[in-house]
Amino acid sequence: MLELQRNVIFGQFVDTGSPVHRLDVRIKLVATALLVVASFLVDGFLGFALLFPLLVVLQLVSRVPFGYVARGSSFFLFFLGIILVFQVFFYPGEAPQSSVLWQWGFLSISTEGLRFAAILGLRVLLLYHTTTMLMLTTSLVDLTNGLELLFGPLQKLRVPVNELVLVGVISVKFVPIFISEVERLSRAYTARGVPFDEGGPITRARRLGRLLVPVFVGGFRRADLLTTAMDVRCYRGGRGRTKLRRMEAGLTDWLVLLMVVVWVLAAWKLPGLLIA
Amino acid sequence: MTDLPEQAPLAELREFLYSYLEGTPRAVEAARGVSFEVRRGERVGIVGPTQSGKSTVVYALAHLLRLKEGQVFHEGEDVAAAGYDRAALRRSVGVVFQRPDFQILEDVVGKDVAFGPTAAGVPAKETRERVEESLEAVGLSYPEFRLRYVHALSGGQKRRVALAGVLAMRAPLIVLDEPMAGLDPQGRDELFGLFERLREQRNLTMVMCSSSLADASLLCDRLIVLEEGRVAMDAPVREVLAGADRLDALGIALPEPVALARELRKILPDLPTDLLTEEELEEALLERLGESRA
Repeated sequence: MLELQRNVIFGQFVDTGSPVHRLDVRIKLVATALLVVASFLVDGFLGFALLFPLLVVLQLVSRVPFGYVARGSSFFLFFLGIILVFQVFFYPGEAPQSSVLWQWGFLSISTEGLRFAAILGLRVLLLYHTTTMLMLTTSLVDLTNGLELLFGPLQKLRVPVNELVLVGVISVKFVPIFISEVERLSRAYTARGVPFDEGGPITRARRLGRLLVPVFVGGFRRADLLTTAMDVRCYRGGRGRTKLRRMEAGLTDWLVLLMVVVWVLAAWKLPGLLIA
Repeated sequence: MTDLPEQAPLAELREFLYSYLEGTPRAVEAARGVSFEVRRGERVGIVGPTQSGKSTVVYALAHLLRLKEGQVFHEGEDVAAAGYDRAALRRSVGVVFQRPDFQILEDVVGKDVAFGPTAAGVPAKETRERVEESLEAVGLSYPEFRLRYVHALSGGQKRRVALAGVLAMRAPLIVLDEPMAGLDPQGRDELFGLFERLREQRNLTMVMCSSSLADASLLCDRLIVLEEGRVAMDAPVREVLAGADRLDALGIALPEPVALARELRKILPDLPTDLLTEEELEEALLERLGESRA
């Protein structure tokens, strides 16, 4: 049977009660943003080699099983692999003839193409892993509160921060809802004689196409229900809304942020200094 | 399928274990070694409090879960074995889901009832006959309802359409997941009458899971009581009701006559609790009161 919830981790929160889970959410968000920026600043293997141990530390301390993350990322990794193969064959830059390892018509493999694809792959992996770990270790309520506090000053410029954050967070929340909807529908179809657990990958993919319309109809219905539920519980945007928990970043939180800053700076600047 | 002796159970679970999201940090154990058999013509009720594993068992019978070998059998064959004809299994086991909206796949009643037969490759003429027969069997007039939009139906009518869709598949085993849940008293009574009628007319083999012991005890011959994914009791209905104290300890709401009899046992210790109706309770009470007067 289709078991997407087992194999898709996007939008899921896994509470292991680890120190990463307990970190102040604003610190987590800033640290994640730093790592995202780092993924664009770092442009060499040495830089990534310096950054990746940080991801290993993050994975270990969070106590979220690596196997779970890896299996949940298999679909993403598969597509990343395909994109990278295309990057290698259709390298967009100028590659000197001496670096071309293989050529057939317009397809070629060059050392520049391989390097470009590898760096791109590492960059995407870094981006993916950091944001995935943020989601896995932060509940949606905390994420909403953290984003609201971080972007709060923009309210003075009449930016509807609370509403925008809520819309963003709810859209993330809808991913698992859509996934469970697909599972539910596939079970209903299977019970009524249209099996989703038989046939090759193309047959199965074609059958999945049948679910598109009902899944979206179900999604709209849920969204409508959610709006009503929020209305009846007096939601009127962020105006005058209080917080159940006050966020206070402690010494540990600041030390973690400092560690990430140093680590990112090292990964960005150290390779250049070493080569010089 | 191979020829099997007549005695082979229609469906069987052997030490059935199942965890949702297995292998993930969010895994939930739903069945922890459930074993039972369902024989032809039997009407088996699976009761238990919420989270006791009832729906998991229902899904397992129709192979709607990722099953491991050696745990679920249909007519003596392991349904999880390589090469097993799962399509044939699903034609043999009709599942009526707890919420009809989860099961009705088409917009129009007639088209939805025809979904199963057409998926099974039944010719158009026979499909039409089956749709008519099934709708009439569930008390919905074919000319009146066949072109009705599903979204315009009441909860009880939707449940009937869902049941008609399963009856149209002519499955020898019908599995009902909480068939009475969410219905108003009138809808509940109507559906109850319908099941009674189907039971008498069609001699269906039926597995019904319900959190209401009262419903299950009136519709079934045998009850399986689940507790935290394990079988706590498996016996004919009256035998299970006789163990009212145990049922109460398991957190299962007792049917009214049973609950009353259990209370009255404080003054009439020999009053039985294996009672299905108020009339039976009345009779048992009068009998004992007559004895005490004499």
